[in-house]
Amino acid sequence: MTRAASWAVLLLGLTYFILPLVGMVEFSLSMRRGEYSFDAYAAVLADPQFRETFSYSVVMALLTIVFGILLVVPTAFWVRLKLPRLRPLVEFVTLLPLVIPAIVTVFGYIRLYNTSSWLPLTGTIFGTNLLLMFGYAMLSLPYMYRAVDTGLRTIDVATLTEAAQSLGAGWVTIITRLILPNVLVAVLSGSFVTFAIVMGEFTMAALLNRPAFGPYLQLMGANKAYEPFALATIAFIITWACMGLIQLVTRFTKHDKAGR
Amino acid sequence: MSFLTISHLEKSFGVTRVVKNFNLDVEKGEFISLLGPSGCGKTTVLRMVAGFETPSAGNITIEGREVSSLRPNQRNIGMVFQAYALFPNLTVAQNVGFGLRVKGVPAREIAARVEEMLALIGLPELGDRYPFQLSGGQQQRVALARALAPKPQVLLLDEPLSALDAKVRVSLRNEIRAIQRELGITTIFVTHDQEEALSMSDRIVVMHQGVAEQVGTPFEIYNTPATRFVAGFVGTLNTLDAKVLDPSIGRVKLGGNEMTLGRAIPPGEALLGLRPEMLRLGAHPGEAALTGTITELDFLGSVIRLRIDLGGQPLAVDLFNTTRQAPPKVGETVSLALNPSDALVIGG
Ligand SMILES: Nc1ncnc2c1ncn2[C@@H]1O[C@H](COP(=O)(O)OP(=O)(O)OP(=O)(O)O)[C@@H](O)[C@H]1O
Ligand SMILES: [Mg+2]
Repeated sequence: MTRAASWAVLLLGLTYFILPLVGMVEFSLSMRRGEYSFDAYAAVLADPQFRETFSYSVVMALLTIVFGILLVVPTAFWVRLKLPRLRPLVEFVTLLPLVIPAIVTVFGYIRLYNTSSWLPLTGTIFGTNLLLMFGYAMLSLPYMYRAVDTGLRTIDVATLTEAAQSLGAGWVTIITRLILPNVLVAVLSGSFVTFAIVMGEFTMAALLNRPAFGPYLQLMGANKAYEPFALATIAFIITWACMGLIQLVTRFTKHDKAGR
Repeated sequence: MSFLTISHLEKSFGVTRVVKNFNLDVEKGEFISLLGPSGCGKTTVLRMVAGFETPSAGNITIEGREVSSLRPNQRNIGMVFQAYALFPNLTVAQNVGFGLRVKGVPAREIAARVEEMLALIGLPELGDRYPFQLSGGQQQRVALARALAPKPQVLLLDEPLSALDAKVRVSLRNEIRAIQRELGITTIFVTHDQEEALSMSDRIVVMHQGVAEQVGTPFEIYNTPATRFVAGFVGTLNTLDAKVLDPSIGRVKLGGNEMTLGRAIPPGEALLGLRPEMLRLGAHPGEAALTGTITELDFLGSVIRLRIDLGGQPLAVDLFNTTRQAPPKVGETVSLALNPSDALVIGG
């Protein structure tokens, strides 16, 4: 391919991505007739429901990330170390959320954990929040697991573990001081995807009737004209901020620079 | 009672017996090498001492304490791996201090000990570097410092030099030995390199198919190999079929030559072992003489290796290179002398 042709393809791709974004931002600024303004943004930020649902979802996202890390890092580590034969099976299980629609899962949850079941999680707000967090963690599992597993592939897990053990380290020390720091970038990118998923998730939150950001977005989209676009722009900026942070962290992780 | 005792140690993976009735007593401060070909079970023995593999049978005691039931992190053992295995996310100093930190030693003491260890391995300036910024030889020295920092009872090294290039390998093996002597730490060193084993060890265990064929000083292993395998594996050995003419004085006939060993040997057929360096060109009074034809000549610098046809049996001979004597030529028939009492009669 010639240089000109490659540039043309690149431009076409950029246009394909950027034009809709430009349109979205442009429209979100057009609430006031005849001139650009941040009126839509002001309206969104002033809405107490926005602040409530947004902060609810941020907290849920952070909890999901913590839970996901606690679940995935030791699991992926253990599978690599002791059960390498089970890796295909575990990978398959972690991919299931991509195939099983969230609505199926959430109905399953509601059937299993309703107020007349053996574990009535939906009976309390705390229980429902917990259930929702498990649901989110499950949805993010494919991304989190893959990211961490790929991160583990860059280090010699078995030998490093044995080296640490011979120096007297137990499992907790090995995972927190050795495994986690070495897969930190992978964990962060998994966390970022998790964050994005939780912030946008609609089905589970709606059916479990929790005041999350996803259902709020949907509600606004159905009832307002300019505000949804302002919201979408805000969401987009958050996403890009997260990605920028990952880049920064990657750059400042000294030991990752070379030698692998 | 020895410092480290391994008795009747066995290990099977599935139906394969990888280590068979392995016994070894190691004195405090001794440097022991496990030497043997690939797959003979050296690493497996070492990993059982470290606790990474569970023995199928047998006992391991260190200072009288049975350690078989202890997990690796409960044994007081330092280990150095072939692949260095430094923690990539930690600096050199943090790597060396890791074991102490795990033990909860105060930061100030750790810093002092780390400094001491870095000085010991000759890298006092490199504490702040990350492993990827070091050469292979430096990484392995740091790995050694890391293993030694918590003052382990036993140091285990699994082919620590085999990933390094030849020059570094020789200098580092001298350094390891010097450090080991200085600290007086009991050490088991695994290698498949006979030169390493011979030059470093107090005693060598030659392993073959999971069995310890011979345990002895480098001198004993080389000069009086107990089995045919040991004789063939350690050093270069010519094995020659001989016919015993007179067992009582050890008179044998080999390749058209006759010689007298001067000691009683079993009658019938004998297998003689001759090291290439035992033989000299020319006739020397009081020594046995063999006659053969040179078929090949390799000039190796300080040594000239000849291949000689001795009545149909091949024989390798090493001569020192000297300017005083013109080297022999291929096709020449030469007379070789050897001290008959040096010749090994191989059983087993
Ligand atoms: N985890 C395992 N499962 C099954 N077989 C094993 C296992 N570990 C080692 N073996 C087998 O045990 C035998 C001895 O292995 P070991 O690693 O002790 O040999 P080694 O003497 O250290 O060889 P090398 O010089 O190649 O390192 C080999 O045949 C190997 O295939
Ligand atoms: Mg080995």
